[in-house]
Amino acid sequence: MNNPFEHRRPTELEDKAHAEAVRHFADHLKQFPASRVVVERLERDADKIALAANRAAAKPTPKENVIQADDGKQWHKSVDLMENIHLCHRPISYGAEYAVVEHSPARSTNEILNRGWNATEVVKEFTQQQRQALQLWTEDMTAQVQEFLAEKFPGQDLSRVVDAFIHKCTTQAVSQKHSLTHGHEQNHSRGMRV
Amino acid sequence: METIPKTEEQPNPTPPERLAYSIQEAADMLGVNYFSVYRLIQRGKLKVCRALRGKLLVPRTELLKLLATE
Repeated sequence: MNNPFEHRRPTELEDKAHAEAVRHFADHLKQFPASRVVVERLERDADKIALAANRAAAKPTPKENVIQADDGKQWHKSVDLMENIHLCHRPISYGAEYAVVEHSPARSTNEILNRGWNATEVVKEFTQQQRQALQLWTEDMTAQVQEFLAEKFPGQDLSRVVDAFIHKCTTQAVSQKHSLTHGHEQNHSRGMRV
Repeated sequence: METIPKTEEQPNPTPPERLAYSIQEAADMLGVNYFSVYRLIQRGKLKVCRALRGKLLVPRTELLKLLATE
């Protein structure tokens, strides 16, 4: 989506409405770009992540990286994908099985989100699901901003403000402070046992 | 002189329980970030409905169901 304000400057009303929306939805503006960056990194690095998992599967795993998942089987953590979400493998008689496992610290559970014999496919399937969740978020945020502006400025066409807001959210760079990627990449490099 | 008996003051009625919550409210109640809630929806773990304009609403019953099953 392009920023509509790049083609034609915002009117005074649009400026005001945009500022109000940014203020009202500050948490979305902070959280969305950070999540988006994580998903983009997964999309970009899916092959590398899968390769790291393949290599990890060919080596012995330190005891502290072995977890028991909800299927009752033992899985070996290979790569950290997101906070508390790991790409894991477990040896089987003819190679390895791979799974994305989400750890819940509150419940001390390890839930399997995706599994399969091909690490690349498992990572890509997980990544697609995260992209779909981001899409849900974008649609919901659009609806929320529309509703907010319709209540605040009844009878005004502020569709350009909505577009500009969503553009800001979906393209805004992430500050180091709010970046999940920063901490995540540290985990990632730590998690990759290649 | 007769005094008129005071009518008992009615206590403030408790507000009716909300039937549904926005994603932000649901995230706050569950103590997770927004993306976690959208991920739960994407995985079908949390059922939602759409209000006017397409805004997502999480029914209270679904939140309770999620907490009970989790």
